[in-house]
Amino acid sequence: MLEIEGLTAAYTHVPVLENVTIRVGAGQFVSIVGPNGAGKSTLFKTISGIVTPLSGKIRFEGRDVLAVPPPQRAHMGIAHVPEGRQVFPSLSVMENLEMGAYTEAGRGDWKENLEKILTWMPVLAERRNQLAGTLSGGEQQMVAIGRGLASSPKLLMLDEPSMGLAPAIADFIFDKLAEIRSQTNLTILLVEQRVAEALQTADHAYVLEAGRVVLEGTSETLQADDRVRLAYLGM
Amino acid sequence: MTAAILIENILQALVAGLLIGAIYGLMCVGLALIFGIMRVINFAQGDFMMAGMYCAFFIFGPFGISALFGNVVGPYVAAILAGPVLFVAGYLVHLFLVSRVSGTNTATLEGEGHYAQLILTLGLALILTNGAMILFGSQPFSVRSPLAISAWEIGPLWGDRVSVFVNKSRTVSALISVATIAALGWLVARSRLGKALRASADNPTAAIYMGIDVDRSHRIAFGLGIAITAIAGGLLATNYSFHPYVGLEYVIVMYAGVVLGGMGSIMGAFWGGMTIGLIQQMSTLVLPTQLQNTAIFVIFLVIVFFRPQGFLGRSAERT
Ligand SMILES: Nc1ncnc2c1ncn2[C@@H]1O[C@H](COP(=O)(O)OP(=O)(O)OP(=O)(O)O)[C@@H](O)[C@H]1O
Ligand SMILES: [Mg+2]
Repeated sequence: MLEIEGLTAAYTHVPVLENVTIRVGAGQFVSIVGPNGAGKSTLFKTISGIVTPLSGKIRFEGRDVLAVPPPQRAHMGIAHVPEGRQVFPSLSVMENLEMGAYTEAGRGDWKENLEKILTWMPVLAERRNQLAGTLSGGEQQMVAIGRGLASSPKLLMLDEPSMGLAPAIADFIFDKLAEIRSQTNLTILLVEQRVAEALQTADHAYVLEAGRVVLEGTSETLQADDRVRLAYLGM
Repeated sequence: MTAAILIENILQALVAGLLIGAIYGLMCVGLALIFGIMRVINFAQGDFMMAGMYCAFFIFGPFGISALFGNVVGPYVAAILAGPVLFVAGYLVHLFLVSRVSGTNTATLEGEGHYAQLILTLGLALILTNGAMILFGSQPFSVRSPLAISAWEIGPLWGDRVSVFVNKSRTVSALISVATIAALGWLVARSRLGKALRASADNPTAAIYMGIDVDRSHRIAFGLGIAITAIAGGLLATNYSFHPYVGLEYVIVMYAGVVLGGMGSIMGAFWGGMTIGLIQQMSTLVLPTQLQNTAIFVIFLVIVFFRPQGFLGRSAERT
């Protein structure tokens, strides 16, 4: 579904991504793990069009993503739940979700999507008229995920959904993702620092270090890999 | 006896202040809309207002609105129609000029493009004023409605003494202003377009992730802001004559109103403009007319000193 090939990107003269190749098949759950500054968020920003790569290809369902203007990429079916949540602070929870449904697909499915989102995350129903900027971090993360789901995406990209959350809330978010996935069979690309959880839920995973893919494989292989166990799982 | 005259004068100034304040409010809302959504300070706003006035003039006369609607209603129709014309003008000015120094193109510019924006909008202001000077000359124009010299008399309120005169033209203009603000308020608060505009202002990057074309949002906001101020200009033109430099006279009103209302708050800007109108008219009770603008400035400084975030300012809340 998503094919990234030989992607190289930079903000200055130092490349942040170097020759990155990643594949996500339809219906797959793929995780990307790696230390701070590895270029994980940059990879997502390149897919969304906020960063223009120096070279490489990105294809989504066979279409050349890099030829599509950034605001149009959401309409292709790519939902980006960004790092640090990035909700619209002065819009209400409901309005945030409506903005998620700005895509044609999201507009068409608005009623069903909203019902599902509010069932998965009932807090959002309670807080529907509250300004998103006044929500707690966990609630904002739910808004960000709900907003992504409201677009009726084919691919949901989540950038560190557990960032800055208490362990219990982070666990809750992971449980929700697993639940949503089991019910929808949505294709998910996840970036996470919490490597144990990221590997557990994923079918396939990549380890990104200093802009390069240093390891990839099924999550069982990676969970058994000594380097991963030592560097990321603390075993 | 003298008390009656004093009360009459105060009431008269109050009514005049409310009526002119509604138009000032509309003018300020245009500027606030642009600043609130694009974070661009448009120094040419006063001159776009002047363009709106000339536009109303030509719509009224040469384009036949006076023949169609007559001299009484025509000027107001022309003022409203100046809105869509200036919307297109603003939209194009953004597309070809402003977009180059704002929005998603500012990453590589010094000071997030604010210097370039300042220079560009000041340049636009000069071009508009001098362009109008070349095209229309310095003699005053007007689109005055006959209503401008007729009034309703309310009263006598106290014995046979106190009565207030309410100018008909200014009343109609104030009502059109309020209706325009209400329509804009609905658009921004409730419509899909309005929500997308606010989302673009709140977090442009996230807005792009949602599939919102932020540059287009800015173009629409810029066009709308210009159109709103142009309508206010057209309404002023039904009461006062104007010339190419008229923008300068109202720029202080606009900036004072927007800052009073809390930079970027749209409804705040309306109340800011209303306050300026009231201060201006009330000051005529104690000051000679030449000092009206000084009064605005002094009160403005006093209010900003005590409430720097403006009336409805939310700067602390914005992230
Ligand atoms: N806008 C920018 N301008 C310049 N350099 C940047 C910019 N954004 C990121 N970088 C640099 O690019 C590198 C990769 O950043 P990125 O945010 O992609 O890392 P990450 O893997 O997401 O890290 P984290 O796990 O901390 O979120 C870092 O060295 C960072 O300093
Ligand atoms: Mg990151």
